[in-house]
Amino acid sequence: MSGNEPANAANLGLSRRQWLTHWGIQGLAATAIIDLMSRDSRAADRSRPAPEEPHPLLPKVKRAIHINLVGGLSHVDSFDYRPELIARHGKSLVTDETPDTFNGKIGLLRKPDWRFAPRGQSGLMVSELFPHIARQADLITVVRSMTSESANHTPALFYANSGFQFNGFPSLGSWLSFGLGNESDDLPAFVVLPDQRGGPNGGASNWSSGFLPAEHQGVVFHGGAEPVRELFAPTPEGRSAEGEILGFIDSVNRRHAASGAGDSLLEARMRSYALAARMQLSVPETAAIDGETDETRELYGLNDPRCAEFGRRCLLARRLAERGVRFIQLFSGGPIAGSPRASWDAHENVSQNHGAEAVRIDKPVAALLADCHRRGLLDDTLILFTTEFGRTPFAQSEGNVAGPGRDHNRYGFSLWMAGGGLKPGVTYGSTDDIGWKAVEKPSTWHDFHATVLRLFGIDHTRLTYYHNGIERRLTNVHGEVMRDILA
Amino acid sequence: MASLRLILKSVVYIVVLAFGMVPAAGQDQGPVLAGKAESLIVARCIRCHAGDEAKGGLDLSTRIAALKGGKNGPSFAPANSEDSLMWQRVADDEMPPKSPLPDDEKRILAAWIDSGAAWPDQPIDPFRRSTARSAGYDWWSFRPVRSVFPEIADTKTPGANPVDTFVDRELARNDLKPNPRSRPRDLIRRLSFDLTGLPPSPELVRAFEADPSQAHYLRIVDTMLASPRFGERWARHWLDVVRYGESTGFERNEPNFTIWPYRDWVIKAINDDMPFDRFARMQIAGDLENPGQEGAAASAFLVAGVHNTVIGVSRRMRLLARQDELEETIGTLGQAFLGLTVQCARCHDHKFDPISSREYYGMIAAIDGVQHGERVFENLDAQVRRADLESRFESVSARIAALEARARASAPVAESRRPEPKRKDLPVPYAMWSFDNGPEDEAGNLHGQLVGGARIESGALVLDGVSAWFRTPTLKKYLGIKTFEAWVMTDDLDQRGGGVISLQSNDGGIFDAIVFGEQETRRWMAGSDGFSRTASFRGQEETEAKTRPVHVAIVWDKDGVVSAYRDGMPYGTPYKTVPAKFPLNDTHLAIGLRHLPAGGNRMFRGRVLRAAVYDRALKPAEIERSAARESGFVSPEELAARLGPEAARQHGELRRQRQGLAEELARVVAAPKPKIYAVQANAQPEKMRVHVRGDINEFGPEVAPAGLKALGASSDWGLTPDAPDRDRRTRLAAWITSKDNPAFPRVIVNRLWHHHFGTGIVETPNDFGFNGGRPSHPELLDFLARKLIDEGYRLKPIHRLIVTSEAYMRSSDPNPVNSATDAAGRFLWRHAPSRLEGEAIRDAMLAISGTANPAMGGPGFVDVSVTPNNGTTYYEPIDSDDQELQRRTVYRFSPRGGRSTLLDTFDCPDSATTSPRRNVTTTPLQALSLLHGDFTVRMARETARRIEAERLPGVEEQLARAWSLILQRSPDSVEAEMSRKLLERHGLWAVCLGLFNANEFVVVP
Repeated sequence: MSGNEPANAANLGLSRRQWLTHWGIQGLAATAIIDLMSRDSRAADRSRPAPEEPHPLLPKVKRAIHINLVGGLSHVDSFDYRPELIARHGKSLVTDETPDTFNGKIGLLRKPDWRFAPRGQSGLMVSELFPHIARQADLITVVRSMTSESANHTPALFYANSGFQFNGFPSLGSWLSFGLGNESDDLPAFVVLPDQRGGPNGGASNWSSGFLPAEHQGVVFHGGAEPVRELFAPTPEGRSAEGEILGFIDSVNRRHAASGAGDSLLEARMRSYALAARMQLSVPETAAIDGETDETRELYGLNDPRCAEFGRRCLLARRLAERGVRFIQLFSGGPIAGSPRASWDAHENVSQNHGAEAVRIDKPVAALLADCHRRGLLDDTLILFTTEFGRTPFAQSEGNVAGPGRDHNRYGFSLWMAGGGLKPGVTYGSTDDIGWKAVEKPSTWHDFHATVLRLFGIDHTRLTYYHNGIERRLTNVHGEVMRDILA
Repeated sequence: MASLRLILKSVVYIVVLAFGMVPAAGQDQGPVLAGKAESLIVARCIRCHAGDEAKGGLDLSTRIAALKGGKNGPSFAPANSEDSLMWQRVADDEMPPKSPLPDDEKRILAAWIDSGAAWPDQPIDPFRRSTARSAGYDWWSFRPVRSVFPEIADTKTPGANPVDTFVDRELARNDLKPNPRSRPRDLIRRLSFDLTGLPPSPELVRAFEADPSQAHYLRIVDTMLASPRFGERWARHWLDVVRYGESTGFERNEPNFTIWPYRDWVIKAINDDMPFDRFARMQIAGDLENPGQEGAAASAFLVAGVHNTVIGVSRRMRLLARQDELEETIGTLGQAFLGLTVQCARCHDHKFDPISSREYYGMIAAIDGVQHGERVFENLDAQVRRADLESRFESVSARIAALEARARASAPVAESRRPEPKRKDLPVPYAMWSFDNGPEDEAGNLHGQLVGGARIESGALVLDGVSAWFRTPTLKKYLGIKTFEAWVMTDDLDQRGGGVISLQSNDGGIFDAIVFGEQETRRWMAGSDGFSRTASFRGQEETEAKTRPVHVAIVWDKDGVVSAYRDGMPYGTPYKTVPAKFPLNDTHLAIGLRHLPAGGNRMFRGRVLRAAVYDRALKPAEIERSAARESGFVSPEELAARLGPEAARQHGELRRQRQGLAEELARVVAAPKPKIYAVQANAQPEKMRVHVRGDINEFGPEVAPAGLKALGASSDWGLTPDAPDRDRRTRLAAWITSKDNPAFPRVIVNRLWHHHFGTGIVETPNDFGFNGGRPSHPELLDFLARKLIDEGYRLKPIHRLIVTSEAYMRSSDPNPVNSATDAAGRFLWRHAPSRLEGEAIRDAMLAISGTANPAMGGPGFVDVSVTPNNGTTYYEPIDSDDQELQRRTVYRFSPRGGRSTLLDTFDCPDSATTSPRRNVTTTPLQALSLLHGDFTVRMARETARRIEAERLPGVEEQLARAWSLILQRSPDSVEAEMSRKLLERHGLWAVCLGLFNANEFVVVP
């Protein structure tokens, strides 16, 4: 039989409690966590050395919206302006190494398919691929020197999400839920909004809580009347009996508790039923975007069939963030294979593929930035815009051709962030002249995760969870905060 | 700083002088001092300053290396501490970093250097001793298992369960008052869920309440241990440990429908109480030691983890994927059987446990023959049956042949030929050879040429299977879409790969052919270059072509669809491929040869009595009509006429018998063969080399397969780096299960304890290393480990010992006084209550509702929809009352990321990594799942239906029945009244659903 997890929660015991208090979380869920943790930490102290007391850092943000581009966005076509690449269009890549791509075809260098221009006050270079996002350039901070360990989709996506290339590790959202608890009493801490064309490869493993307790796993919100699975009784009969059944359960449990059998597990279970009942109200209320103004709906592109699907999800993300959901993850792109592709995996033709994908998300993402900004939400919210890896500056074609497609590039690519605690309108790091490899401040996903955690006020080396012999971290044994982009 | 050093040194001298130990002169003191210094180096320095990655290049394991020093020069000057870098850094508190040496140790170091710095003869092993930050070879879990237990002899209560002797001692030491025994209902509930994963029947609870004696309890324990449900329950615990899942994970996450034999093997092994050492050996090397299905099934342990099937083309990615795979396997193996995280030593020596990186590579060398794969086995029953049918078939055929020979003797075969059917009914061939008169094409002008000894005899082309074949001139026509047909007899049903008719490029590089027995024995296939257009028709095995001519036809249709016919009837099922691209005006047809060059298994041995080629795809009806014309042999009617009535009757009877046998044989042959996902051994793996810092491109020295020094049994297996897989894995299995390995028995008895009490004696069942827990009752752990060895590694006696202890039987009631010192109950003053696992909740509902399907074993039931979507696979939960879906959860098809809200929210692991213990969470989503899940609501309704069908006298009895089925107790008057109200408003199902959601249902006392 299973018991409670004694050792695990102890590592964070007090610090989490402080964070929880710091955020002024009230309500039953938070109390339950504190109850269980204080009990468990005492149990654990005896047999294992207690780690040092973590020091909470000053948090800049409380929540994040993560836009995750499945398949690999071409940085040289979007946020990484490389004039030298344009100049050397049609020339060969001069190198004595074999580039570690996926398909192994090394064509000639290829210039971007979109024109770059300086944007806003900051003059940040953004290409015409994202004309709407370009107009919000002063709000974003671009990291141009990302690198990845894997040029293979699913390991790369797992890596970006969880710091490891394998199934079974908790994702960023789960770690934040674990580390900070939930700001909301009646919504999950980690919500996932997958692309309507399908979940990413690896499916639910991408938002699994791994070895962290199940409460930290991502909860998928669907469209429709029942956004969360099993939110309502499946039949009309069940729905009409629901109130009385809940009353019955509560009475039975109360009598059980009064009989002397009560303990914190029972109290937590009783609270969970109260919370479930509240979720039945709060989830549909949050998911109902009809109440938004026409102006807002237009802003997010809900009237444009090309981007309405992503627009709805961006708007829902803002509503979830407003209600205290800790981490909201949106996927742009479904499964990798297939034709035409339903992701950013532009092996065949960047212009066609990225062109079509960008139209789906450009306006909604820009709207999310602008809307959060004008509402002040961006002050304590982080918006993350990432992908699996970049694409090669050379074409994926025969050696004497600058074909229209690009292969995977793990050596250098871009992502951006926006929100509290960041210097906006700046870039960080750089790739080489042609945009192949990160050369200035090369950064890893561990660095990115360390930076995100830092913005949440967490020292990434101290957010740990014991699992099978190791105090696991989101950043494994690596990670350097990108200090230069912190405000 | 220098002055400080001087002061310290002068202190040393003063001390030394004061005690009369002058280092330079004190030869007698040398060994003592050297011993102390060695201990100091081992405890304080050597973890960083030894091995391939010694910090600063300084290796302190030998005197020579230390003298040579690191990048800052020699570490010491003999007999002169003042000039020794080592002393300077230590005296300045720079070394060891962050934790400077206490003064007394500093003095020892200085004195020792001044005395000449004697080193031990052997290099100092950095792992020799445990330190404040890491475990060494002397770590508690590497010490031998004790074999003498004075505690047992000293006990004041004779006949007491030894478990209690150890537990009570700790309780007394900690001043804790143990709870009394549990109430009978609570105890039986606990025992039943613990041993069988199911609730006790109300009748069993009542019987035990009536007679709660120890003898009665023992009888119940023995019944449950002997129940098949025990194996189902405890197999689940083991499946968690071995990260058993039924899809590949990663990008594709394809379902694995053939790994379930492993799960069945585990259940059976546990039910049969297979000795645990054998249980382990079978999983590590079962496929080698027990070839056959059982060994293969057991070996799936090694390949049950996630497995990346999409790797990319680069060599780096392939190597990396392989190294990742090996790490995954050795990590699971080390944790499962040794309680050690061996995988942490892949990039560097283990930071906390005494495992060097080199040892890691020795361990993965031991499993480098392991590859993932699916193995196909002969169905043994079917084999016996088939042999019997074949021999009867042969004997009947021989009798028919004897009769026919007599008839043939009475008239020449050629004359007895039946007239051809009318030509207008038959398709017009592009080329056709009847071999009645010679090699001429009777439809066109592709007159053939006899090659390599081919001859025409009695209206048939005779092929010797060695060199004989028949070829046409180069074709003028491009035969993309086409049909080949032949009436053919084989000399030998076991020949492999001969071509009957082939269209090939003139160099033989591209071809489409009718082939026999090439990829599949005794089957007709469409052969092609590199099997590029070849797939199994899944047709029946050929049994007749040796005794009579059969008609075989293959159609290559547009869009690459290939279909086959035998005797005019469809042969298996068509498949789709990509049409061939033949060179223009550079092809010819061949008979008797698969493709050029002639020779080898490409040659067909037998007779072709007629062959035809069509430049279009014949329709099924055309093929049937064409097949109906006979070749070469006397028709049955004519035979009958010549045989006379009695022999003709006999002949007809024999032919009917033969037909019946053939049909039955076809059925037996078509019976599916068992497929088992298992180790596909690479018999001769390459030599393993260390990857320095885990870097795939950095190769270090070759390593031989070997064990870990830390564990008592000899880590040197006497193997060389090029040892075959068989030696590697059998030695690994022997080493792990060796009686000298203390970890092996300790780890498994701790797992049993963990599941019986909710927390192990060591609370980290997979990790007995430095980062793991320390045993709460170390002597008890050793006692149980020793007991396991004494019991011949059988686990049931250990289970029995544990569940019959007072510690196990204690009530779970709270006690604030005890909680103040031991809230977690680690000293077992109470039995901790436990939340049921998701599987137990589901199984209990099925049992209570009376809808459980008790069928054991076989492929898992699938309660998810499996949707392949462009290279990945989605799994969505479904619920139905299909009988299959009412089986126990251990038989559930369990893909990774395969969602089941009930199991997910109740903390069932996703089997991506080994899960030695389950989390226990309490969330609103859990409440929603138990309230609204299709399954739980259906179970509530089924339970109500079951009770209503029992025709109890009234509502009160129905409600009492619901309470006793679900909670194994009667409601009190208030509860009965609450239940009655709910029943009256909404029906009995609402009461059942409410009770399934009650805390008392999901938490076992």
